[in-house]
Amino acid sequence: MAASTGAANAAAADLQGPASAGSSMDSPPIQYSMILDHLIGDKRTAKDLSPGVMGGLGAPHKSDEQKMIERGMESCAFKAVLACVGGFVLGGAFGVFTAGIDTNVGLDPKDPMKTPSAREVLKDMGQRGMSYAKNFAIVGAMFSCTECIIESHRGKSDWKNAVYSGCVTGGAIGFRAGLKAGALGCGGFAAFSAAIEYYLR
Amino acid sequence: MDPMKAQQLAAELEVEMMADMYNRMTNACHRKCVPPHYNEAELTKGESVCLDRCVAKYLDLHERLGRKLTELSVQDEEMMRKASVGSG
Repeated sequence: MAASTGAANAAAADLQGPASAGSSMDSPPIQYSMILDHLIGDKRTAKDLSPGVMGGLGAPHKSDEQKMIERGMESCAFKAVLACVGGFVLGGAFGVFTAGIDTNVGLDPKDPMKTPSAREVLKDMGQRGMSYAKNFAIVGAMFSCTECIIESHRGKSDWKNAVYSGCVTGGAIGFRAGLKAGALGCGGFAAFSAAIEYYLR
Repeated sequence: MDPMKAQQLAAELEVEMMADMYNRMTNACHRKCVPPHYNEAELTKGESVCLDRCVAKYLDLHERLGRKLTELSVQDEEMMRKASVGSG
């Protein structure tokens, strides 16, 4: 970076070399500070800084709406919402599936000998699916949100983001049952996240 | 040195300076923010956040150092002028 001003420096110094020898003559030496004022200081003119001018490859300009849409899609809130919806769907499917292989579905607690009717079984399956769906949605949203925040804070994209956010999520879930359960949840979820990241990368 | 000449010289140097600064900034920020693990084609969130910060810092640095250099060169020129007045 110092060399970029050094390029201007070298150019000005070259001009100043023969000129300073003539400082006692009519032409005054070139003042570097005046040039710098025009380049970097207060007298600089506003330039159209497009990468095509400065040596980058010319890319088609994105409209403002497109930039806003892309910024929205990259934001943490959108990712959290996406994870929430995805978790909801996955949790619902998982809940219905586990209800399908469970023998206790639909059993009336007051009369355990009675075979449940189809309607009761279906209602119970729906409730279980909904409860799993809500849990998965909350966990997914929390994990995605914390991962996005941690990644934005660190400025790097590696496997540690998932581990840290797994610890935070597991800790938050387990913390309701006490400190030890929180620590255990943190460790367990972090290990699970690390395994998934290892598999994915 | 009259301001017109300074402005002309600055206009000539500016294009070169801007291109040089852009190239150096691109190289430096790419080296610092984008690790050579090319799993996907698009910039991840962490990398784009890092690049925003890198560019902001680079431009801030450029401006501050330029101002400092201007101050130093003004002092230098006054010293030279005093020396030439003293000797002449």
